[in-house]
Parts: sequence; structure tokens; C-alpha cells
Amino acid sequence: MTFNYFVSFFFIVLGLFCIITRHNLFKVVIGMSVVDYGTNLLIVSIGASNKGTAPIYAEGEILPGTWFVDPIPQALTLTSIVIGACITAMALSLVIKIYHRYGTLDTREIRRLHG
Amino acid sequence: MTFIQTILNILLLPGLAFTLIASIWLAGVDRVLVARMQRRVGPSLLQPLYDVLKCLGKETIIPRKANEKVFLLAPVVGLASVLVTAMFLPVGGVSALKVNSDMVVILYLLTLASVTLIVGASASGSPFAGVGLSREMVAMISYELPLVLVMLTVGRVCGKGLATFSLSTVTAYQAANGPLLLNPVLWPAAIAMLFVIPCEVGQHPFDIDEAETEICEGVLAEYSGRPLAQFKMMHNVKMYVMSGLFCAMFLNISTGFILADILIYCVACTLVTFVSMSVPHAVTARFRVEQVFKFYWTVVTGCAALSLILVWIGL
Amino acid sequence: MENFPILAIMTLFMGAFINSLAGRRSYKARCAIVFTTMAISLILVLAMVPSVMGGGEIVCYWMGGWAPEADWAYGIGLEVDALSLFFGLIVTIAVMISGVYSFTYMKHDDSQVNFYTLFLMLAGSVLGLVLSGDLFNIFVMVEIMTFTAVALTAFRNDTEGALEGAFKYLVVGSLGSMSILVGTILIYACLHTLNLAQIAQMAIHARNPVMVIAFGFLFVGFCTKAFMFPFQPLAADAHAVAPASISMMISGVLTKCGVYGLIRLVYVLFQNIGQTHVQYLVTGMGCVTMFICVTMAFNQHNFKRLLAFHSISQVGYVVTALGLGTALGLSAGLYHAINHTLFKGLLFLVAGAVQHQTGTLDLDELGGLSKKMPRTTALFLIGAASISGIPPFNGFASKWMIYQAAFSKAVNTDNFFYLLVCGVALITSVLTLASFVKVAQSAFFGQCSVLCRDAEDCEKGMLVPMSVLAVLCVVLGLIPDQFGTLFLKPAAGAAMDPGVYISAMLRGADATVMPAIYGYVGAWNPVFFIVLLLIVTVGVTIYSVSAPLRRPEPLAEGDVEDEHVLPENAKYEPFFSGEESVHSHVGGSDLFWGFKENWKKYFSFWHDWHSGIVNDYELYGVVFLAAALIYCMLFV
Repeated sequence: MTFNYFVSFFFIVLGLFCIITRHNLFKVVIGMSVVDYGTNLLIVSIGASNKGTAPIYAEGEILPGTWFVDPIPQALTLTSIVIGACITAMALSLVIKIYHRYGTLDTREIRRLHG
Repeated sequence: MTFIQTILNILLLPGLAFTLIASIWLAGVDRVLVARMQRRVGPSLLQPLYDVLKCLGKETIIPRKANEKVFLLAPVVGLASVLVTAMFLPVGGVSALKVNSDMVVILYLLTLASVTLIVGASASGSPFAGVGLSREMVAMISYELPLVLVMLTVGRVCGKGLATFSLSTVTAYQAANGPLLLNPVLWPAAIAMLFVIPCEVGQHPFDIDEAETEICEGVLAEYSGRPLAQFKMMHNVKMYVMSGLFCAMFLNISTGFILADILIYCVACTLVTFVSMSVPHAVTARFRVEQVFKFYWTVVTGCAALSLILVWIGL
Repeated sequence: MENFPILAIMTLFMGAFINSLAGRRSYKARCAIVFTTMAISLILVLAMVPSVMGGGEIVCYWMGGWAPEADWAYGIGLEVDALSLFFGLIVTIAVMISGVYSFTYMKHDDSQVNFYTLFLMLAGSVLGLVLSGDLFNIFVMVEIMTFTAVALTAFRNDTEGALEGAFKYLVVGSLGSMSILVGTILIYACLHTLNLAQIAQMAIHARNPVMVIAFGFLFVGFCTKAFMFPFQPLAADAHAVAPASISMMISGVLTKCGVYGLIRLVYVLFQNIGQTHVQYLVTGMGCVTMFICVTMAFNQHNFKRLLAFHSISQVGYVVTALGLGTALGLSAGLYHAINHTLFKGLLFLVAGAVQHQTGTLDLDELGGLSKKMPRTTALFLIGAASISGIPPFNGFASKWMIYQAAFSKAVNTDNFFYLLVCGVALITSVLTLASFVKVAQSAFFGQCSVLCRDAEDCEKGMLVPMSVLAVLCVVLGLIPDQFGTLFLKPAAGAAMDPGVYISAMLRGADATVMPAIYGYVGAWNPVFFIVLLLIVTVGVTIYSVSAPLRRPEPLAEGDVEDEHVLPENAKYEPFFSGEESVHSHVGGSDLFWGFKENWKKYFSFWHDWHSGIVNDYELYGVVFLAAALIYCMLFV
């Protein structure tokens, strides 16, 4: 499990690094997605259990010693993935519009609002 | 009884009548003293009153570019705010109005007075007034910081563990322990306050906002008649308010007899006016606007901060 | 009563849905739908006021009836205590006013139906955030809020910079959302619950490094949403380009969500505001923000961008006050929060009106509007006086409480830091005043510029919402005591005493919380001297009205008011004397030359710091996140 945490934080840091250093708008959007993936992996890992099975039981079936993964983080991940997809779509549509208007994808040239 | 007494206080002794007389007196004394120091004969002692009366009789001209309502209302609010400020000053231990933190109220009302000057100038639409108001604003930024620091210092000293923003506590402390000016730790703060006074009032070396020779009276360029009289009177009352504030904060001497106290207060006010306003007026030339700012945020603020730190570490 | 919170939220979301179906038909149908939705939501929130604020009741609602079993909260809950309701009131009132203003303001835009759909979704998400009792729900609402706010910022995408501002907001804002999500999930990993009350109950016993990191992440997340330093460039960009009613929403409502989150976080969830280092963190943040933003405002010559920096500066006041950790500080913060919504909303709407009538927001191009738009000017002056803290308006009352809180904190703890806080707050107030003098002088007074020559007061549809805000500004300034007793005291009390919150949600659970050692100190009542001020003013006015006035003679037919008007430098023409206007220091954006000259280096540093490059902004954010995490690990 610890490995999962490392990988997820690695993804988050990688994504942030990408946003900070890449000057192409698309790469910035990709960075945002990578951060999202890292976060989602973190959420799933927290609910996971090595011996666990799917958390589908009828009443009375759960006995001491039954292992199942926590269902809540999975539900949270689903929500988070959906939100991430929306954000990506929104960002990409903005990128298209910006390209039409500014004629460039370089963040260093898209700075009419500054100071 | 108390109600009548309050009304009398507001109208007569520490209130309106006393304020008007004291401010005319201080403004007159200031002019005479400056003239004598410059080896001139100078005007009569009542000249400020004559100036105001003369303006009252004149016609008020409203410039075409002015916003009439704001232009006429600004001096009114300004005069009213300084008059109300004077109500909070304890004269011989009695003040017309008491609230639990009158120092902040005074701070704000003085700001309000400056703001009315600025807004009035702005509404007059004259470019000279525009430059003047920008300078007035810079002056205000300059003196506000040291003034706040001085108030914090005094409040800390007089609050006995619980710092206070109340002038009556400050005067009560001085009545018990002697004037604060005797405390060497507070000397830097007192010096800072002496410098704050002329800038707040807009007296000569710091009168950057109405520099006649450069910007034709600056903020007052378009004013005439009654609004001008109100602004002039506001200036005089401000002189009294600032001197009185200094006396209340540093020089409150209590003998137990109210008449003697009032007399001492008047003498102290005159002294403060002489030291902080007449002397700099007579001996220095006008500062430039960025010099004023620099001077106040380095030297004066430094003095005030020094006192504050000394007081805070318990000296 | 239990259903009111969920109904208030769902009404707004349903309104968005219905509007997108039926609002396409006509302008009137759209307005009717939007107005009804907002009104129902406002009424539902108002209906909860007597029992929650007055009676101290806490309204709980469990989605789908999943009430807690054996003291363990399974379901998603809504919990409305006085604090939530206080922010709920701010939100619904601001939404109502902003929406009504939009009816006229946005009349000439296309695809309005999308505007109102997004607007109602924004309103619903914000209301959902403040009324929610579930941490993950808060995250979802934050995301909807960011998403719709970004879309609305870019709504007028033909204006200069709208897309750019929206993109930066989205990218850097997602850093904040990510922080909130990571913080939420770390808390879940430790405590296996997402319910606010249950977290509050358990977090105080679970002081481990993971919880501390979770605190750091949540703190940064809510700071992003409140646009605290170093996230203020986002606010400046987004405010400046968004439609005015949306600027009002962003400054008045969205930042309040961040503030609400911070209060919930430090007072209720972690209950660690009693620790000195948490106080340093929150108060220090607030102080730095308010000072840097107010000085940044000096450099601006776009009306709304200037207002944006001021807006964040005022939020800095709020955060400073609530970071003090005393009841007086929290009440002062809450008071300033609602006042900020009112006066900042008013100012943004005034800016919108100016833009609507003249087509520009550049302070150097505006001028002399006071004669053309007298009502708008009066409203602007009320707003400017409020934000600068001039008595008797509301800004004075709340700022006064903030100074009092900081000062008494300094005295009680004998800590020099809080004294500095007090000083910074006072100086910021003066600087605020200075830059509003600049706006007044550049845009409203002075000589009339070419663009403003044909301007006139805007329609009633815009004037009425602005007037409502102005009236509220005055009223709240005049009744601080009554307002404090009715609203601030219950709201601050709710935050100060999380035990009640916990036991209301999990019935029967024993609530172990930090002992409530705070007493509420009353605000000072300014009525006394204000009455006197009014009497004297009236007296002097009566006297001066009787004076002979000489008004300017009316212009002859065909005469132009200013014969020598040039578009760029008409206002300061006498001073240029052949010089280029850029070299002159009397221009609108350079009004305080004496001040700026001494601080040249400081100003140019911050000017370059706000580089406008999204990578830089993200870098600041990440550095801040890292610094906050390290600080939390070391001290909290």
C-alpha cells in the first residue's frame, strides 16, 4: 500500500512540476490531468485492502474475518474523476478560444492582464 | 440636571463656544508670534476672526466644472467633524462627550476632516485642486502612521496592564501620576506628536497641499465666500484640536481646582502651538511632497516606534 | 423546518435546469424564472433565521433519511447552525441583488440563458457549500463553484483578457481544489468519516502527522478560494474581466466561501485556533494579504482591477480578525465579512454601471462623471466611504471592532505581533482611502472626458439594486450593537462552541471539545457622536444655504463645454505644458506621486511579481503550499 501512496504523490508532484515549467497551454492542461490522476489513485489506495473483495453483501453475511474494501473512497473517486473530466473539457475549450484570439499557445505571450 | 449639564458642556465650556474662542486665539497667537520671529509687526490678534468674517460676507462662486452639491457640502461636513472632535477633548478634566475609546474616534474624525477637504477639492474640478488633493492625501498617509503609534504608546502606558484608547483614562492617569511628559521613555513619542501636529493641521513647512506659490492654494483654489470661511475655520479649529490633544495626552496637569486647570490647559495649548507650529513656520522653508513622506515615515515614525518598543518591553 | 436547507439549495439548481429549458423563449420568462428561484431561496433561508439565530436551534437534514446509527454518521448531512446561516444569508442576499442587477445589465448580451443557468448553479453551489455538513460535499460544491465561476468569467469572451483571466483562474484554482480533496481524503484515512461534526468530535483526539498535513492542505485550499496571498493575481484577473454582477459574486460570495471554510476548519474541525502558531499563521496571512493588495491597488488604472485588489485586501481584514481566536475577533471578522459583501458589491455594480454607460473602465479615460451620472456618483461615494472606514458607514463599525480586537489581544497576551497587526490594519485603512480618492478624482470629479460626454444615469433596473446595497451599508453602520446581538453573537458563539454543533448532528454523542473560554465583548456604539455630528452638520448647512450663490451662466447655444479637450490628457492639461502625459506625475493613475516616488522599488517589485504568466502563479501557489505544510509540520 505504501508504494501506492508514493506513486500517487509522485504523480501529484509531477503534474504540478509540469504546470510550473511547461509553457505550452496544452501541456499545462495535461499537468492538471496528471495531478487529478495522482489524487484519484490516492483516494482509491486509502480505501483498498490487500485481501479485500468487493463490498457487496446482504444483511447477515458479514462475519468477523470478512475482508472487503471500503466502498466510500471508490464512490468519491468516481465523483472526482467526473469532476476532473469536466475541468479538462472546460480548460481545453478555453485553450481553443485563446488560440483563436491570441494566435499562440505560449503562456509567456498570454499575459495581457498583469501588474 | 445631568442632561442640562451635558447640553451646557456641549454648547459652552469644553464645547462649541470654548472651541471657537480657543481656536481663534491660537490662530491669532500663531500669526503674531511668527511675525515677531520674522521681525515683522504682524496682524492683530483677531485677524483670523476678521478673515473668516470677511469671507462670510462675500459671494460664493461655483465654478462651471464643479459638482455643486459636493462642492458646498464638503466644507460643512469638515467643519462639523472638527467641532465634534473638540467635544472629546478634556478641558480641565471635563469633556463634553465621553465614549469608551475616544482616541480612535478622534483619529477618525480628523481623517474625516481631511477627507472632506480632499472631496471638496476634487468636486471643484480644478486641476490645481487636483494636484493639491493628491498632496493632501500623501500628507495624510505620512502622519497617520506615527500618530497611531503615539496613541498606542500612550494607551499602553496609561492602561495599567490593559491598554486603553480612552482619553479620560489617560488624563486620570496623569492626574494621579503627574504629566506623561515627565517620563523620559515617552519623550520620543512626544517629539513625534509635535511633528504630527503641523502636518495634520497643514501649517507652513508642511502645507504642501495649498502651496500658494506653486499651485495657487491647491485644494482651496476654487473656494470663495462661505465655504471658504468654513474651511478656514476648520483649519483654525484643527489647530486647537491638535494642541489640545497633545495637552491631554502628555501635559495634563491637575491641581484640583477646575478653573486653575482650565487656565493651565489654555497656557499649555498656547505653548504647544508655539513649539510645534510657530517655530517651524518661522524658521523653515516649505518641504517638497516626497520629502514630507520620507521624513514622516523614517524620522517621526522612528521616534514613535522607539517609544512604543521601550514601553512595551516594560521600561 | 428540517427540509428548508435542502429546498433552498435545490431550488437554485432546479431553477438553473428549468431556465435552460424554458428560459430560451423570452426575456420576461427568463427573468421570472430566475427571480422566483432566487426569491424562494432567500425566503427559505430567512425563514430559518428566527429559530437558528434567535433560538439557537441547529437544523439537520440527512439525505435519503440516512441518519447516524450507533453514533456513526453514514449518510450525507446538511447542518445549519448560526455560522452557516450567517454565511447563507450573505450568499442569498448577494445573489438576489446581483441577479436583479443582471436583468438590466446583461440585457444586450447574447446567450443570456446560459448566463443565468451558470449563475444559478453558482449560487446553488455556494449555498450548498455553506450549509453542508459533509466534507466531501464541500469539495464537490467548491468544484461546481470554481467551474461555473470560470465559465462566467469568460462569459464576455470578446472583451480583452476575459479568456486569459478565466484560464488562469481555472488552472491555479484547481490547485486549491486539489488541496481540499487531498486534505479531505487524508482526514478520511485517519478517521473514516466525512461528516463535519464527527470529524470535529474525533480530530481533537487524533493528533498525528497525517492529520496535521491534512490541516495544511485544507488550509491552503480554502486560502485559494478566498484568494489570499499569493493567490490574489487570480482574483484581480478574474474580477477585471468578468461582467460586473459576476465580479460582485466573486468578491462578495466566493471569497466568503473561503473565509467560511477557514472558520470551520480552525474553529470547528480541528479546534486548534487556541494554539498560538495557528493564530500566527492565519493572522499573518491576513495581514500580508491586506497590505500587499492595497499597495498593488495603487498601481492600477483599470477601475475593476483596482477594486479587485481592494476586495482581497478587505478579505485580508476578515481573515486577520478571525485568526485572533477571540470572540471579539471572530465577531469583528464576521461583521466585516458581511460589510465587505455589501460595500464591495456596491462598488463593483457602480463600476459596471460606469462601463455600461461609457464603455470603458480605464481611469485615465474617464472623468467628470459626477455631473453626468449624479446618482451613480452618490452611490459610489457611499461605497467608497464605507470601504475606507469613514463614520458613520458600516466599514467604520467593523474595522473599529477589528482594531479593538487586535489591540485587546495584544494587551492580553502581551505579544508585540498583534500590535503590529493593529498598526498594519490602520495603515491599510488609510491607503484604502487614498486609492478611493484617486478613483473619485479620476473618474467622477474633475474635467469631463470625451468618452463621458454623453453618459447619463443608468436605468432603474440597475439603480435599485445598487441603492438597496447603499441603504444596507448605512443601516448596518448605524446599528452595530443590535446587529451584533441578533446575528454576530449567535454566529460567533456557534463557531466558538463546537460541542453544540457536534451533539446536534450526532444525537446523544458526548462532545469533547476545547473549553469555551471566550466571552463576547460588546461593540462600541457610535450613535451618540454621529447624532451630534448630524446636528452640527445640519446647523451649519442651514446657515450656509442662506448664502448668496453665483452659479455659472448657462452655456450659449452651440458652445462646447471644454474648448480644448483632448481625449487622453484633458484632465490635467494645464500641467503638461508640452510634456508627454506619460512623463507627467499628475495623471490619474499617478495621483500619489510623493508616496510612490519613495516606494519605487517596492512597487516595481510587486508589479513584476504579478507577471501574468500562469506558470508563475502556479509556482507561487505550490511554494505557498509547501511552506504551509512545513510550517504545519513544525509548529502545529
